[in-house]
Amino acid sequence: MAFLELEDITKYFGRNTAVDHINLAVEQGEFLTLLGPSGCGKTTILRMIAGFETPSEGNILLDGEDITTRAASKRPMGMVFQSYALFPHLTAEQNIAFGMEIKHLPKEVIKRRCAELLELVGLSDKGRSFAHQLSGGQQQRIALARALAVEPKVLLLDEPLSALDAKVRVSLRNEIRRIQQQLKMTAIYVTHDQEEALAISDRIAVMAKGRIEQLDQPEEVYSNPRTIFAASFVGSSNQFHGVLTSAAEGLCQAEHYTLHVPPQQTLQNGERVLVLVRPEEVTFRPDTEGAEYHVDSTGNQLPGVIELRTFLGPFTRFHVRVEKDTTLTADLPSQQAHDYFVAQHVVLAFPPEVCQVLPLDAHETELEKLAETETV
Amino acid sequence: MSIGGTSSGIVQRAIADVHPPRKSKPTGRRSVGPGKLVLALVVLYLLIPLGATLWFGLDTGHGIDFSIFGRTFSDPDFSQTLLTSLELALGATILAVALVTPTAYWVQLRIPRARPLLDFLTLVPFAVPAIILAVGLLQEYSGTASPLINFLSLGLVPVLSNNLNIVSTPPLLVCAYVIIALPFVYRPIDNSLRAINTTVLTEAAYSLGSGWWRTFLTVILPNIWPGIISAALLTFSTVMGEFTIAQLFSIYTFPIFLNGVGQEDPHRAALLSILSFIFTLVCVLGIILLVRRRPGGAGKDGQVEIAAAR
Repeated sequence: MAFLELEDITKYFGRNTAVDHINLAVEQGEFLTLLGPSGCGKTTILRMIAGFETPSEGNILLDGEDITTRAASKRPMGMVFQSYALFPHLTAEQNIAFGMEIKHLPKEVIKRRCAELLELVGLSDKGRSFAHQLSGGQQQRIALARALAVEPKVLLLDEPLSALDAKVRVSLRNEIRRIQQQLKMTAIYVTHDQEEALAISDRIAVMAKGRIEQLDQPEEVYSNPRTIFAASFVGSSNQFHGVLTSAAEGLCQAEHYTLHVPPQQTLQNGERVLVLVRPEEVTFRPDTEGAEYHVDSTGNQLPGVIELRTFLGPFTRFHVRVEKDTTLTADLPSQQAHDYFVAQHVVLAFPPEVCQVLPLDAHETELEKLAETETV
Repeated sequence: MSIGGTSSGIVQRAIADVHPPRKSKPTGRRSVGPGKLVLALVVLYLLIPLGATLWFGLDTGHGIDFSIFGRTFSDPDFSQTLLTSLELALGATILAVALVTPTAYWVQLRIPRARPLLDFLTLVPFAVPAIILAVGLLQEYSGTASPLINFLSLGLVPVLSNNLNIVSTPPLLVCAYVIIALPFVYRPIDNSLRAINTTVLTEAAYSLGSGWWRTFLTVILPNIWPGIISAALLTFSTVMGEFTIAQLFSIYTFPIFLNGVGQEDPHRAALLSILSFIFTLVCVLGIILLVRRRPGGAGKDGQVEIAAAR
């Protein structure tokens, strides 16, 4: 039995179903991230685990014990909030001591633990500061220390980095991960930032509309998305709508092209599918005049014109118009990007192995739109 | 000083208003801007009547006569009514704050949708004249309550009026004052609750193992303290000067004493009103000083402003 289990959890708000029959098992010491767009139910799940909301249906088990209806103050959970939520009238040290004082720990123990925790979050010299004297990142560190002070069984983090600057976000993210691993703390992390989720998690639950779309390790979620929503929400990708013409050979008829894809076992001929290709899997070469390009068994080759060139540091992203209504994106390492310029004719290429093929039904189409609006 | 300096004075003031924490640059000369002029006029407007009243109180027709102080203080009714009013004011202040603060917090936390209703209910006393309130209370608690009132109060009114003779007693008067003070108490406390992040602070406290009451007393209360103080000040000064209900309840309070004196000796009444003004002022200043001395009080506020201006 897993350490923390959600059994068939459902939460209705009026007529809305915020969380729709979720089953989730979190192992001890695991860092699990709930990733999804706003309104997907991820925060509601976290709040039900914390005890701020009661599930409409289902049970929450911690270490085999049913805590579904237990008061929040009686649950061994530490919570970190997006808005830090430090008590403004107390110093950093007093904030950290707050939970330990409720537990009636001896004064010396509290003092020692405060010093340890301040050191753990790298703010030993800020013990006497009030929240308004600290930066956002420092406040969130103190909030983390405060949550850890009560030695929770599960650490809950509700978009803890969303209010911070990009740079602080990355460093604090690493810090959270380091501390979590050091303490072997079970952690549940809520975010809408896919990069954050990929960087920090042991496992990611990609969520949409109150359901878990995919629950996997970050590498799997990125390179092997199970649903179109997961594919569109995590990372960017080129998408072709098409019909599978030969499942055995791996042929797919898209609007303008026949694409070579890996042979499909579970899909039928004639099925409507979405083919996904990550930008970094697409290579290209200059379109030398008179050369023949064709789509053959060696891979997919598409001619096009570079329309936009975006320098992103380590790599450069090219938007290439291949048809009147279709542009593809391709990422090149920036060292190799010097030779290409806007309005240049190029040939895009990607092998069949990098193509993800996902069945396209009505539900999926709807979610795909949701993912697109969220990632823009 | 110069008229040319006035418009720049306005601009400076406007800038200073937008960025309160930033000190305006020293201009080298101090011009008397229109702001200061208006301030002076307002101060005069407030002080002249007070000064005139004091003058009238001291000048009994034969020049300034300080012996009137002795006669005033030696009146046994003076100290007795002042004490009565003080007790009533303290009682009403404590009761009102103790009733409203947890209620406002609870509503904010659990049923924020009910807030407009509470807003409305606490405004009703403004719309009901004090005399109606007094007559109503007297009638209901003198044992002749209508069945509707009996029903609406869940039987509390008949039980109270039959078993305890509370009509026209100070405790009932304190309750009446709590009703009058509701708008003054609820508004500042509710504003303070909205200004801090009440829900998140509460959840943070819960997750650290704190129950409702502990959260209320150790987390919420210290952070809405300014609102509670202004609620208390407004209630206190309102009750100290209340006349109508006390008169109808036949309870001899300081304003009634003042009124009585005014009938016989207007000079003494003038002096008394100055005294009561000073007395209330001292109480108010005392409470404000008390608040300022709290750890992280005044200095902290300034820094909060700076943080907000960023």
